[in-house]
Amino acid sequence: MRFNLPRITFIFLMFAQLSCAIAKDQEDTHEYQLSNGLKLIVREDHRAPTVAHMVWYRAGSMDEVNGRTGLAHVLEHMMFKGTDKVKAGEFSRLVAALGGRENAFTNRDYTAYFQQVEKSKLDEVIKLEADRMSNLNFDDSEFLKEIQVVMEERRLRTEDNPSSLLNESLMATAYMSSPYRHPVVGWMNDLQNMKANDARDWYRSWYKPNNATVVITGDVETKKVLAAVEKYYGSIPAQELPVRKPQLEPPQKGIKQVQVKAPADSAQLTMAWKVPRLEVGKLDDPEPYALELLTAVLDGYDNARLNRVLVKQEKVVNDVGVGYDMISRGPELFEIAATMAKGKTVAQAQASIRKALDELKQKGVLDSELKRIKVRILSEQIYKRDSIFGQAMEIGTTEMAGFSWKDIDYMLEKMQTITPEQVQLVAQKYLVDEGLTIAVLDPQARKSAAKEGR
Amino acid sequence: MMSLKKAIFSCLLVFGMLNSAHAILPIEKLDTYKGAKVYLVQTKALPMVDIEVSIDAGDRYDPAGKSGLADMTAGLMNYGVRVDKGVLSEAQIADEIADLGASIGLSVGGERAVLRIRSLSRKDLRDRAVQLAAAMLAAPTYDPNILNREKQRTITSLLEAETKPEYVLDRRFKKMVYGTYPLADSPSVQSVGAVATADLVQFHRQFYRGDRMIISIVGDVDQSEANEIIRTLLKRIPQSGPVIAPLPEFQRSPVEGLAQREVQIPFDSQQAHIAMGMTAVTRNNPDYFPLLVGNYVLGGGGFVSRLMNEVRERRGLAYSVSSYFAPGKDTGIFQAGLQTKSDQASVALEVMSDTIAKFIVDGPTPSELTAAKANLMNGYPLRIDNNRKLLDNVSSIVWNDLPLDTMEIWTKQVEAVTLEQVKTAFEKYLAMDRMKVVVLGAQNK
Repeated sequence: MRFNLPRITFIFLMFAQLSCAIAKDQEDTHEYQLSNGLKLIVREDHRAPTVAHMVWYRAGSMDEVNGRTGLAHVLEHMMFKGTDKVKAGEFSRLVAALGGRENAFTNRDYTAYFQQVEKSKLDEVIKLEADRMSNLNFDDSEFLKEIQVVMEERRLRTEDNPSSLLNESLMATAYMSSPYRHPVVGWMNDLQNMKANDARDWYRSWYKPNNATVVITGDVETKKVLAAVEKYYGSIPAQELPVRKPQLEPPQKGIKQVQVKAPADSAQLTMAWKVPRLEVGKLDDPEPYALELLTAVLDGYDNARLNRVLVKQEKVVNDVGVGYDMISRGPELFEIAATMAKGKTVAQAQASIRKALDELKQKGVLDSELKRIKVRILSEQIYKRDSIFGQAMEIGTTEMAGFSWKDIDYMLEKMQTITPEQVQLVAQKYLVDEGLTIAVLDPQARKSAAKEGR
Repeated sequence: MMSLKKAIFSCLLVFGMLNSAHAILPIEKLDTYKGAKVYLVQTKALPMVDIEVSIDAGDRYDPAGKSGLADMTAGLMNYGVRVDKGVLSEAQIADEIADLGASIGLSVGGERAVLRIRSLSRKDLRDRAVQLAAAMLAAPTYDPNILNREKQRTITSLLEAETKPEYVLDRRFKKMVYGTYPLADSPSVQSVGAVATADLVQFHRQFYRGDRMIISIVGDVDQSEANEIIRTLLKRIPQSGPVIAPLPEFQRSPVEGLAQREVQIPFDSQQAHIAMGMTAVTRNNPDYFPLLVGNYVLGGGGFVSRLMNEVRERRGLAYSVSSYFAPGKDTGIFQAGLQTKSDQASVALEVMSDTIAKFIVDGPTPSELTAAKANLMNGYPLRIDNNRKLLDNVSSIVWNDLPLDTMEIWTKQVEAVTLEQVKTAFEKYLAMDRMKVVVLGAQNK
């Protein structure tokens, strides 16, 4: 059974289907700015009677200063600890009674809060979220308990997790001056020394309507949504935001290496190169798109190059993955991470990765490989519509990086124009030792391993 | 140019159907084919389709000493298949799936193996994805070289997992709670090492047949298209096969002294991990709804549960703490767990135990019951608001032999739950003197 339908047909068909989807997006999405600077983006999607409400603050761990790392994330926790009208814990109880799902997350670039509810409950959650934009008021005792919870979170996700420890050291090594060098959760010692007033100061500095974007997707009428958002968020006064220093990372001048010893069985290797990201106002720069496609050529599907060669043919690594995201506020790394196969060394894995990259740099990328990736990107544009929450996430992350939701479709179109030569070129230009950081996990036996007894 | 017209037409169709009322979409039962039951939910808003094949071939059928066989039987199905004109290699399969913009995934749980296809619903694309999945289901090659490679990878992953607190805890908890039922055994270096090509071939022949399959389809296809999909998918699958020996009875966790049902595992980690639980109910148990509502109050309701309130909000002892019922078709367990700084293990365990014990005896308060029902009922639309979630629901309903109108009557069943029912059900199925307890990495001062 060979599939004889020419590949070009798939692309053509998907383009046709996608172009009407795009037209629909532009028509169903509306953007407003209130007089206090708050931005509102509404996307109507009437497939099911539910709605996602998110508020995004452009304040993440990259806005923290030394000695106060982890503060953006700690404040995220404190946002559930009471306002003048809603006492500690009550926010979650009220959303739960509405049948809502809610949570929040903090990143290097932003902090975001969300609720998903049946559509008739939307006004209620807007009211609650707007209240804590300006009226947060928590006790010191709540802070003292919650900082313990955050330290447990760090123990769970970082201290007892060797891959996280490795990643933490990688970031701290790759960057000298960029605040991206700090972990989002914060260093343990900074958490131990954090005070309630640090969190309050953070809140007073960044939680302002002119630093926030509200994204609402789902079964809504735009005009009614706008009225509700005006009503609840509209009266919150704007305030000048703290000055953000650029803190640009100076160019790297040679290989950096770091080793982490932690309890594990297999060694792990991450190779990370400094690469460009998409800059606001330079949507036509081909390099970031080419780097995205390079990621997929190496790791975008089961038979992509690294999995095929390293895992299946040479059997030198057990798993391999590639990461790059062209959209972010801060600097970007192109990362290749691998776990060693039994009996194989980090040196062998590194040699194999370098060999695979050299081949790509010398011989380039096949047209068929790139088309395959592009088809995948197109079909994902249909699949992503299945989730209104996913759509709100896409809009929010794009906006936080400084782009407009309107750029999303342009970026996708631009991606389709990238040639194999352009992909080869970014590999040649950026995957070089000058900007490389290598992090190695050196596995250690636990002092008391899992010898189970009663 | 034919294709262009077709594409544009499908585009209009897609966006012309958005104003339908939000009634809960019905599950249509289609004709059984080769012994496989078939169910369909038609959703026309997006030009895509999700297809799931559930096969009664889960981990519980692993033969003694060969834990991991069911996993590998499914996991190797996309690493080489026989087709009319020869063999498609793993590389060819992966390339074809990618070229179609589709995905085909395989996973194995305790009860069943699951194959899922996601494809655009255009007939030409969809047909090819279904043909490929059909070949995987019916004729995997099970190349010995690939088996050896995958065994080695699995063993390497297992050795890594054994250094992780959550894995070691979970493996021990399963062993204790499943007792004599086959799910007590987890894959090990030895058991995976013992699996040979002939085992895969035999397991596949025994279990991968129409009369052990249920197919659920959600998306932009009508009944006749769904029937066409099924006929392609099962074309080379036999209807039946050899008799399979019945599994042992799932025995209720017995009443035991603490020394018999609690295990301490020394582990050098920053946090202690704790699991507590026992056997409970199947999904079709008439007390399912009282237990669901009750557990929302106890430990299922995220930030507002009693466990969260006692352990995290009041005492700052853990980042996450929860309890849940995992009701299957033939087995079901209750489990609660948390992680805390290793020198706080005793106090955290005490708080968790006390909270559960008190709840079993007293049940929820009237206001807690009201809050739980409000959340579950008001939030029901969020459980079925896209194709992926609809598929999850249909899949659970048909696998567990629930009525096909389950989604329509779900909120009514929640609404009908009384305080007395919750209390009675918790007392009936849970008991502190039957709870297995595993504590890993505690360093008590």
